[in-house]
Amino acid sequence: MIEAHELTKRYGDKTAVDHVSFTIAPGTVTGFLGPNGAGKSTTMRMIVGLDRPTAGTVTVNGKPYAKHRNPLSEVGALLDAKAVHTGRSARSHLRTMAATHNISTKRVDEVIEMTGLTGVAHKRVGGFSLGMGQRLGIASAMLGDPRTLILDEPVNGLDPEGVQWVRQLVRLLAGEGRTVFLSSHLMSEMSQTADQLLVIGRGRIIAAGPVQEVIDSVIGATVRVRSPRLPELARLLERDGVTLTPADDGAIDLHGLTPAQVGDTAAAHGIPIHELSPQKASLEDAYMNLTQDAVEYHSHATAAAPVATDTSAGTATQKGQNR
Amino acid sequence: MSAVAAAAPAAVVPERAALPTLNAHRTFAGVMRGEWIKLLSLRSTWWVLGATVAIMTLVSFAAAMSLDVMAEDPLTAPALAQMHGAEIVSGGSQIGVVTIAVLGALLVTGEYSTGMIRSTLAAVPTRLPVLAAKAIVLAVVTTVVTLLSMALSYLVTTPQLTTYDLVPALDDSQTWQILGGTVYFLVAAAFFALGVGTVLRSTAGTVTVALTVLLLLPGTLGFITLDWVETIVSYLPLPAASAFLSTGDMSELGGSPLTATAGLLVVAAYAVVPLVAAAVLMRRRDA
Repeated sequence: MIEAHELTKRYGDKTAVDHVSFTIAPGTVTGFLGPNGAGKSTTMRMIVGLDRPTAGTVTVNGKPYAKHRNPLSEVGALLDAKAVHTGRSARSHLRTMAATHNISTKRVDEVIEMTGLTGVAHKRVGGFSLGMGQRLGIASAMLGDPRTLILDEPVNGLDPEGVQWVRQLVRLLAGEGRTVFLSSHLMSEMSQTADQLLVIGRGRIIAAGPVQEVIDSVIGATVRVRSPRLPELARLLERDGVTLTPADDGAIDLHGLTPAQVGDTAAAHGIPIHELSPQKASLEDAYMNLTQDAVEYHSHATAAAPVATDTSAGTATQKGQNR
Repeated sequence: MSAVAAAAPAAVVPERAALPTLNAHRTFAGVMRGEWIKLLSLRSTWWVLGATVAIMTLVSFAAAMSLDVMAEDPLTAPALAQMHGAEIVSGGSQIGVVTIAVLGALLVTGEYSTGMIRSTLAAVPTRLPVLAAKAIVLAVVTTVVTLLSMALSYLVTTPQLTTYDLVPALDDSQTWQILGGTVYFLVAAAFFALGVGTVLRSTAGTVTVALTVLLLLPGTLGFITLDWVETIVSYLPLPAASAFLSTGDMSELGGSPLTATAGLLVVAAYAVVPLVAAAVLMRRRDA
């Protein structure tokens, strides 16, 4: 369980994280999504006490991270694959970490095996590829057998096999009742691993909730309709809040209506329907839509209107989530 | 929509108290053991320690050999009479202090330059135990290495010292003052570098500061004969240490105006002040 309340981090006059509040429920995989520089890493560093919040608080399992007696068994963090001395072997690195918590060498060898590093355990980390560095980072996160894992861009630099492995590991850990909080700037990665999403843009939470709910809330449900009397049906369905977009092959896509509403209307007027199918908005579409505001705000920093819109939207989602 | 909390479908899995089956408990002894492993698992440590022993022994040996020249020169011959053998045995400390300072610097700057510090502080978020453990480990290693160097120096210089009847007597309190003082001085230099290194977080910057304060300043300012400059010089670490490291006023540095006790206190300040600054900043700054 990770709870952030109004968490804020400023560097000089630049606000990296801006009044962020969220709760990561136990036993879930929560994806932390946002473009590069959105504040993901800063937020994660504040969770494990590496960076001090300018304002606000964040707790892990009810207490600030630093107040835990055995922090490594509360939270395992992969924050930076390069948080390792390059002159030390992978095994020595893990042993230095393990020693602080009196964790046995047996456990060190366990996590080495679990992460597939057995063959290079005695090699110096300086010669490691990015993928091997990530595996070592995951190994040190697993060292204390923690209830909560924080993984910052865990698949970064991994080959397809490694990516697959991380996904399976994350699901396995969540299945064991652990909390996993992982970040990515890739929406597609999140669809594979996460069940909850926390979307951040320019230091603010812009959406939160189950993956599909977040996507739907942004794109809205789309229904594809095909009918020989399509123009007639379209006229009947046209009203406020509904948009009609012609699809390429003579069908239309309706936003703002459920398939049931469309079907009922058609039946009431005796209009035959040849296709009526809910369309899943793609993650990438949702993501682009979500972060668009943040990006626009970035390039027109002086324009008043987008700023106001952005602010109110951000506040609204945050409040909704706090309830 | 109480989004995240409510939608946790897997809330089927309650917070299983049994989950962390691993026996993990953080202790200060553990933190110290971690620092030991860190120190000894780096090749650079062994290089620096080996270099320290080699240089200190060699310099001491060279000092012993130069006794021949001293004895023949009518200008320096009288000085020989006032010399203490332990000064020859500990003669390498002026160079050893530099390599030991490099070790002290690397112990912490190596972590900042590689990013290791983030792993370290994630494991010990209270932070100060890390600095304390580093200081203790550093003190132990420095003491062992200094004693080893002086033991070797004693062995290689004994034949020459015998010739001049300078073999330091083990029942002579001055012998122990000089040998103990050398250990004290080198440990202080290591602490100085550790403190400065934690403040600056850069290997190059720390080594530069350490070299300047320990070696360059006393050397270069030594040529200036203004009173106030001479006063400043006498409070630099090496001249201050000479207050308890040499017996007569025959030290190459021209003796110290400080008493032995004052010298000990000044040297202690060089160790303590940077460490206190390091502790304050380490707690306060982002890693």
